[in-house]
Amino acid sequence: MEINAFVIFFAAIFTSNILLTNFLGMCSFLSVSREVESSFGLGLAVLFVMIFTTAINYAVYHLILVPFDIIYLQYIIFIIVIAAFVQLTEMILERFSPVLYYALGIFLPLITVNCAILGVSLFMVIRQYSFLQSIAYGAGSGLGWLLAIMALAGIRQRVKIKMVPAGLQGAGLTLIITGIMALAFIGFSGIAVIQ
Amino acid sequence: MILLILQTTGIVTLIAGVLAIILVIAERYLADYGECTIDINGKKKEIVKGGSSLLSSLNEKKIYLASACGGRGSCGFCKCKVLSGGGPLLPTEKPFLTAAEIADNVRLSCQVKVKEDIKIEIPEDIFNIRKFKAVVEKIVDYTYDIKELTLRINEPDTISFKAGQYIQLHSKKYAKVKHSVSRAYSISSNPENPQIVQVIIRKVTEGICTTWVHEHISEGEEIEFTGPFGDFFIQDTDADMLFIAGGSGKAPIKSMVEYLDQKKSNRRMVYFFGARAVKDLYLTEYFHEFENTLADFTYVPVLSQPDESDNWQGRQGYITKYLAEFVKDCANTEAYLCGSPAMINAMVKGLHACGIKEENIYYDSF
Amino acid sequence: MKQTPQEKIIQNRMKSGNLTLEGFLGNDKRHYHEIINEDLMLLNSFGITKEQVAEKLQQITDLAFEDFEGIADKEPGISVEYISIRGRVISPFNVQKPAHKGVIHYHDNNKDIHFCWTPLNIKMIRDYGFFEGKGSKNRLEPALIYKAFFSK
Repeated sequence: MEINAFVIFFAAIFTSNILLTNFLGMCSFLSVSREVESSFGLGLAVLFVMIFTTAINYAVYHLILVPFDIIYLQYIIFIIVIAAFVQLTEMILERFSPVLYYALGIFLPLITVNCAILGVSLFMVIRQYSFLQSIAYGAGSGLGWLLAIMALAGIRQRVKIKMVPAGLQGAGLTLIITGIMALAFIGFSGIAVIQ
Repeated sequence: MILLILQTTGIVTLIAGVLAIILVIAERYLADYGECTIDINGKKKEIVKGGSSLLSSLNEKKIYLASACGGRGSCGFCKCKVLSGGGPLLPTEKPFLTAAEIADNVRLSCQVKVKEDIKIEIPEDIFNIRKFKAVVEKIVDYTYDIKELTLRINEPDTISFKAGQYIQLHSKKYAKVKHSVSRAYSISSNPENPQIVQVIIRKVTEGICTTWVHEHISEGEEIEFTGPFGDFFIQDTDADMLFIAGGSGKAPIKSMVEYLDQKKSNRRMVYFFGARAVKDLYLTEYFHEFENTLADFTYVPVLSQPDESDNWQGRQGYITKYLAEFVKDCANTEAYLCGSPAMINAMVKGLHACGIKEENIYYDSF
Repeated sequence: MKQTPQEKIIQNRMKSGNLTLEGFLGNDKRHYHEIINEDLMLLNSFGITKEQVAEKLQQITDLAFEDFEGIADKEPGISVEYISIRGRVISPFNVQKPAHKGVIHYHDNNKDIHFCWTPLNIKMIRDYGFFEGKGSKNRLEPALIYKAFFSK
């Protein structure tokens, strides 16, 4: 693929946002977006995990899976790598920022099953990105996820004090907002498309 | 085919194994906070292995901060001032701290993790608190639901406490109860007798510890407790003393009166013992004796609902009715209360009505 | 039924020998969610909410507390007795907020009703709609509560 790494980075944030275009990574997106601070914390954690797992999975794919001809194992191996890395992130967070660790609670280990993380690794394989492109894609997707969750948190904080019909309170309204955000982001697609 | 399966399994296992080893090494390094120094009151320094809570690190060094819940974060007793090195305030601590306490650097020591050198400030008499191993020397039945335990302490072999303080008794597993609990009981023996500790325990129907004491321990058994704790003790003044305590609340009062008797105090004392009926009275003769040995002591049992068959000739009704009769100098009277929250609530109101000042009313608030 | 780890912890805390000697489930084998659901449906059928029940219980408790272990004979035929005990009881739902220890006995001789509750019961009813399992000593039957407080 000949797309410039920077273009991929930019596109992953805006035009092909992993969350708003591919709709991956929805569960923690919907649950943690109640407050802006914890959303920011979780977004940073997801970004951190995404960059490193993309890099590690790239190495594992090209250095182990391809030479040994066991590409069909990629699903299992990628998940193992992601799980191990999230454990590491938890330990680092507990050590250096206990407040954030407690604030995120159960959602930190839940990053392991965040489909966006696995999705990014698999897309990287499907689209046959080079190492540089993969890093750009991982970083861009992470930032795009962070941007999306913070935007939603900001909107939710303002909507919280308004009168919402009983049937739509909570998840109902959140999904509608997410849909409208996705529509808005389609407006970016004229700039650059990578899928 | 077999080779393929073996190869696949082998590679997956290898990758998983390598990752697991990396995680173990990381945990060793990240969760290892090394050795940290706890600086106490600027005087004592303890070196502990980092990573545990402040409460348990201090306990390891035989410094016991009060705790009713065993470090779970549900009682708020283990407060302690952390001057530096305690990290940011955690959401689990906030429910127990007032704004003033937070501004004053007070933290819940069971939630603060020792990760670096830490400076704390604790009251001096905490150094007196120890964990004791004792033997049940005697069990006496005072009434149908009240027992007194005499514990002879073995290790360490003496205890230093003020009359009115309490201990945390550690119960053992029994029947349906699969774990030990700690409950607070006031000491009923004279502090001048440092080799024994007596406690008076009333059976509470749903009580894990009181049921253990009443039904599952015997003389000669070894039990453990921690103490002494509490800010409830005799004020060193010449003011008149008013004791109000019923049921097992008699314990700290007994300790105080025995102590005052030994010291030959000539302060004016009145002790109101509130109970339901005659069957709830105990140590009545014992306390009437103090009327002879102490300079100015009066024991006044008051029954609120005596049975017909009791033929009670003494005072009846609520204690508040009789306060005026016995309190001579309101401004110079100290009140010492021990009992249930409801009793203390009612008594405090009655005492105010009688003219006794708020700052002269003392009670344990657990 | 599937439980989150948090729910498992709460269910365990409710068993006997954990927080109190008898526990909160009596001899009820159901999960606490089912107990709560069934009781809430009963409340609905009577047209009362759990907040109303908790408020009424709290009112009576406060009156009895002020009277200090006495018998509050405010209305003819009704007597309330609050046996207050030192110490705190930890709630199975929230270990950070223990409640006072004690038992409140309610006797209504006019309607021939007698039941009892604890300050913790009031909290659990108000916050979670938990009336304790069948067979538990402090279980409050919605039907009895309705008869005692909300019907003529």
